[in-house]
Amino acid sequence: MALAYGGAVVALGILPALFLDPVGQGCGRCPGNLLGVFDSPHAAQTLNRVAVQLGLAWALLLIALLGWRLFRSTAATRRLIAPVVVPAIVYLSLVAWSFQHALGRGFLSNDALDHRLWAGQAVALVAVALGVAWEWVRGRRLRSTLARLVVELAASPPPGGLGAALSETLGDPSLTLLYPLPDGRRVDAYGRPAEPAQEQAVTPLVRGGRRVALLVHRPGLLDDPGLAGEIAAAARLALDNERLQAQVRAQFEDLRASRVRIVERGDTERRRLERDLHDGAQQRLVSLALSLRLACLEPSAERDMVVLQEAEAEVRRAVAELRELAHGLYPAALSEEGLGAALQAMAEATSTPLTLTRLPEGRFDPKVEAAAYFLVAETLKRSRPRRAAVDVASVDGRLIVEVEIDQRLSEDLTDLEDRVGALDGRLLVRATSGAETRIRAELPCG
Amino acid sequence: MRVVVADDEVLLREGLARLLTETGFEVVGKAGDPDQLLRVVRQSRPQVAIIDIKMPPTHTDEGLVAAEELRRRDPSMGVLVLSHYLESRYAMRLLQQHPERIGYLLKERISDIAVLADAIRRVAEGECVIDPTIVARLMARQRDSGPLTQLTDREREVLALMAEGHSNQGICDKLFLSPKTVEAHVSQIFSKLDLREVPGYHRRVLAVLTFLRTP
Repeated sequence: MALAYGGAVVALGILPALFLDPVGQGCGRCPGNLLGVFDSPHAAQTLNRVAVQLGLAWALLLIALLGWRLFRSTAATRRLIAPVVVPAIVYLSLVAWSFQHALGRGFLSNDALDHRLWAGQAVALVAVALGVAWEWVRGRRLRSTLARLVVELAASPPPGGLGAALSETLGDPSLTLLYPLPDGRRVDAYGRPAEPAQEQAVTPLVRGGRRVALLVHRPGLLDDPGLAGEIAAAARLALDNERLQAQVRAQFEDLRASRVRIVERGDTERRRLERDLHDGAQQRLVSLALSLRLACLEPSAERDMVVLQEAEAEVRRAVAELRELAHGLYPAALSEEGLGAALQAMAEATSTPLTLTRLPEGRFDPKVEAAAYFLVAETLKRSRPRRAAVDVASVDGRLIVEVEIDQRLSEDLTDLEDRVGALDGRLLVRATSGAETRIRAELPCG
Repeated sequence: MRVVVADDEVLLREGLARLLTETGFEVVGKAGDPDQLLRVVRQSRPQVAIIDIKMPPTHTDEGLVAAEELRRRDPSMGVLVLSHYLESRYAMRLLQQHPERIGYLLKERISDIAVLADAIRRVAEGECVIDPTIVARLMARQRDSGPLTQLTDREREVLALMAEGHSNQGICDKLFLSPKTVEAHVSQIFSKLDLREVPGYHRRVLAVLTFLRTP
């Protein structure tokens, strides 16, 4: 722009002036040309013509440049620069027009059309000035909005509140904030793992050389240079607050997952032991009993026979005990047919009269089934009630397990609480008016 | 009597086969997995197949599945399933398919040759056999009220024997009672338990077991 302006001044003003002597051209009242080197109307005329052509070319080139910039910009940037660029293009078009008008006669003059074009150019220039002013006002407004945001955020918003506030301030509903964790993962304000969508743009908010957050937004939203820095500065406290909260939540989530894994590993181990006992030890013992029986078929003496028979009976008792042990570890019915079948089998096996009021249909997550089963099994084992009632129902995505026993709990149920808690469930123990206890577990299962 | 033995544990299979041979059974085939069992049965046409509930590949209920398949192919063949599980649900699963010529015994019975031989014979003759331990456990569930408490001791004995799959004649032999007395007990039991007396011996086993399993 400056080059064009300088070029025009030199070509149009100074160079022809070197060769024009108005007095020599018959203008008696004109003052003598102080710049005149020598009088050559022809040279002046040629220079004038070249200058007009040059001016026209410059104007057209600038129009093309501005148009190209406008065309290449994202929608957001276009909105941002339009108040300046559009009047500038209008102004340059009018300039080009006046050069084009002067092209025929070879020099700039001041006929009626020139007058009107100049007036138009003046108006366009004022519009450019207004555009620049508007730009400045908008920047101020954004800063003051951000400042208001700081005040708003001082009231420690809920998780995601910062993202929502920024989204409203910057007018991008898709805007979200992600926080990088020290281990390289990215989480949202709730501490959940999150990644920006493919079509979204990501602007890191940097403070003290460290990425404190990632602003995920629609492309072009933050083309205004320095805006990201402004946001990082304005929302400093809230950002730190939310980032730390997200970190804590993510750690909590990790902890919860590890708790679930511990319980799961325990169950897997129980199941493995159950199989090992059945397929290994029990099988061996049955084989042994069989061998003893075979030995009985050909006893060498009456005494041997008695010994062998006793040994065989002993082995059979061991088999029965092993079966009970294996069953208690992890009943086959639980893994094969689910909670309902396992509780029915329990009602068959236990010496406590056990009433099953309701049993759920279908299968649930094995973790949930195991938690529900062992809650009932352990409660009965520890309290040894004279009677018990169990009610299991699936309500609104939760499995509600209720165990009612006719006495107070003597032992604590911390391990069962852990098991239920690991699944995000709750365990409530309530002593009723009589000597009864009601244990209720709510397990998310949907 | 011609029998086939199926168990993936080779020592157990061979020992059981030897014991059965010594006791007078004719072991016409042995199998270590369900496929082999089906093949052996097709070739040797036994009267009873003795099958371990746990067989390869997963060692869960392949034995039961094989038993069901054998019964589907030849309903006249007896099947005795040996199991480590004391739960009644596996026995019920077998009974619900074809409530005849079927048995469910605890595995450790195989060293008690008298019980095992009796079970094989009964299955071959068309009866059902349910392990006495399973029935005893169902009967032992304490009930403060309910129809079971109204039975006399003798009626409870008869009920247990019915649940184990014994026919009226079998019950007569076991309890040294006359057929008339047993019949009287049976109808008394059915009326006290408010069960419709079902025609046919096999449906009776199923009805009694279902009653006992209901909590």
